[in-house]
Amino acid sequence: MSKGFASNRLTLLAVGVLVCFMAVGVRLVFLHVVDRDELLGYVDKARRQIVVEHARRGAILDAKGNLLATSRSEITLAVDPWALVDYLEADKNLERRARKADDERAKRAQLAAILGVTVAEIETAFTPRMRSVPLESDRRDGTRDGQIKDRWLKLREGLDEPTYDRIAALNIRGITSNRIYRRVYPGATLAANVIGYLNREGTSVTGVERHFDLYLKGEDGWIESEKDGTRRELAQFRSREVPARDGHDVVLTIDSVVQHIIEDELRTIAENYNPNFATIIATEARTGRILGMGSYPSFDLNNYNTAPLASQRNYAVTDIIEPGSTFKIVAAGAALDQGIVSPASSFDCGNPVINYKGRDLKLPKEDHPFGMLTVSEIVSHSSNRGAAQLAMLMGGERFHEYARRFGFGAATKFQLGGEVRGILDEPSRWDGLTITRMPMGHAVAATPLQIHMAMSVVANGGARMRPQIIQEIRDASGQVVRTFEPEKVEQVIKPSTAALLAQMLHGVVGPDGTGKGFDIPGFEIAAKTGTTQKIVDGRYVTNRHVGSFVGFFPASRPEIVLSVIVDDAQVPNGKNYGRAVAAPAFKHVAEQLIQYLDIKPVTPFTRNLVAMQGGAL
Amino acid sequence: MKPPPAHALVNRVILLTLCALMLGGSLGLGAVWMRQEISQAANESRTLQVKIADVERRLDEVNAQVASAVNPHALLRQNEAMRLALAAPREPQVVRVGESPELRLAAKRNREVFSVSAASFELSDNRASVFPLVTASLR
Repeated sequence: MSKGFASNRLTLLAVGVLVCFMAVGVRLVFLHVVDRDELLGYVDKARRQIVVEHARRGAILDAKGNLLATSRSEITLAVDPWALVDYLEADKNLERRARKADDERAKRAQLAAILGVTVAEIETAFTPRMRSVPLESDRRDGTRDGQIKDRWLKLREGLDEPTYDRIAALNIRGITSNRIYRRVYPGATLAANVIGYLNREGTSVTGVERHFDLYLKGEDGWIESEKDGTRRELAQFRSREVPARDGHDVVLTIDSVVQHIIEDELRTIAENYNPNFATIIATEARTGRILGMGSYPSFDLNNYNTAPLASQRNYAVTDIIEPGSTFKIVAAGAALDQGIVSPASSFDCGNPVINYKGRDLKLPKEDHPFGMLTVSEIVSHSSNRGAAQLAMLMGGERFHEYARRFGFGAATKFQLGGEVRGILDEPSRWDGLTITRMPMGHAVAATPLQIHMAMSVVANGGARMRPQIIQEIRDASGQVVRTFEPEKVEQVIKPSTAALLAQMLHGVVGPDGTGKGFDIPGFEIAAKTGTTQKIVDGRYVTNRHVGSFVGFFPASRPEIVLSVIVDDAQVPNGKNYGRAVAAPAFKHVAEQLIQYLDIKPVTPFTRNLVAMQGGAL
Repeated sequence: MKPPPAHALVNRVILLTLCALMLGGSLGLGAVWMRQEISQAANESRTLQVKIADVERRLDEVNAQVASAVNPHALLRQNEAMRLALAAPREPQVVRVGESPELRLAAKRNREVFSVSAASFELSDNRASVFPLVTASLR
């Protein structure tokens, strides 16, 4: 072979290779330059996808970290009967096809056992069927006859993960699943009126769920990427990615056990008296932190759709009542704070008429006839005329000012909103008798929480606190991102006045008080009974009352403020007074709280120590 | 000087072209290998993310179940179902200890230890038999 021939062959080979490369190059130029837009459009349409990553909603926890609300995944199980048909028809071997069909039938029998339904029901679901559609939208199976294959039939929804795992392990042809997150409330009815709920559309409706939705909901993320022919994501082609930010956890000041004690008592009240509504509130005396807040009627948060709207209200803040005799702490506290009277000052409470600013005013009736009473006795005996005289002594303007400072007529700034302000008219709008009626808690209206916070003024050395139900906000990793500290609204009365009034209120459960028999030895219950006639058709009626018992303990070292308010209790003899319907519940709850919260009894030594430090005597 | 023959130049060009093709091919293969690695890493990363999400989902499920099982109402039901008769203490049942319980227990323990050792010394002169008694009480 000559050298020239070899050289020619190499040249030819090189030219051939170059031509091939040139052809490839030209094709690449067409693909990447000339037809670029058209092809990219096609690729974008076929492969590009934006996947939304849903943020997990934060949990709601009690003060001890117990879950009150959380999100749980649930699976909706569905059937595509045609997928099974396609799978079997793909196998041309009849014997093998029959064997496969038998295997699938056996799996479906196991599925029926897991779901707790009959095999016949499952077989019916797996029977292929057609579905009618409008003729113009029938483009799926080639023939335009208004009939398409029905490829989705819901088999079961709300399946939990372990059950779904067992079903998935069967590997049944034609089973499809869809995972969604649903809100669950492990306590069911526990603090239902406070927590609120998320409806099926994921919209927060009431309570903490609604008012702290901004913290709870988090932020959805998204991923822009491509998918392959089997619709699986091609992770290497992710072009943009915004990670989801899970919602924050909201920690309440509520203690599940205290809340349970309260709700248990409310159930007893409901069974015994079938009231219109009832509410019990327990707070820390010094901070205003709400340990428990329960209402009757209530509802199961997991079955909110079956609960009437009336049972979903938080009656502690949404409804107003006349406070009745519990309001007498305003008259007594104001008169003592002004220094107009001392606990030993006495008043004639037997006189039905009194002259006020040159006019003879008829004083309200008493439940029992009284004669001369000291200020302490006016409080402990709950004298209407005595309270009226105390208010008249200081005048309408100053009395109104104290009522406002005790928190009446203004929202308490409850963190979950939904509260009403109550009614406290300006003195200029009072009629001639208001100065005699308001001190006994008529002509004024307040929410149970307002009444409770007014009593907490006495328990907290004269300072009014904002009721606090949110303790802190934590991010998804458990780090605290915001804390809520106790908030003092204003100093209503002097600490010494509060201490005096606390001891007077302890007299209410003494031998001559209206709450006789409801003291707990060693724990100095200080409370005020309240019974208000209800207004029906614009008139006070004598057989329907709002009974209340509002107080705190121990009187010389207040730790817990507790209120029990029962509206329109059904009592056989009609005596649905605060002493009868609310005081027993107060005592029962207090006894349990003493044990649970380890409240120490007040010994003479500690009482003297507190007195030396400027506290109650 | 005599110029190089024409076919030698052609051969050199061909050789250089082949070298260039080999280099280009190697770079191309390298790029493909790298992309493959990137795809693999991305898919592994995605798989791990899915696994983490799955674990977190299961954790939420378990937490919800635990919370349902330990809420006060459920515990009371268990108390009734299992007939445990557990109840919160009442105030008359409670004995309040004013002093430090640690010091009180320590004093009680010390009293026991010294009384045992004293009694043993009185009973026997054999110190070896006293030793296990004292150590047992300290245990």
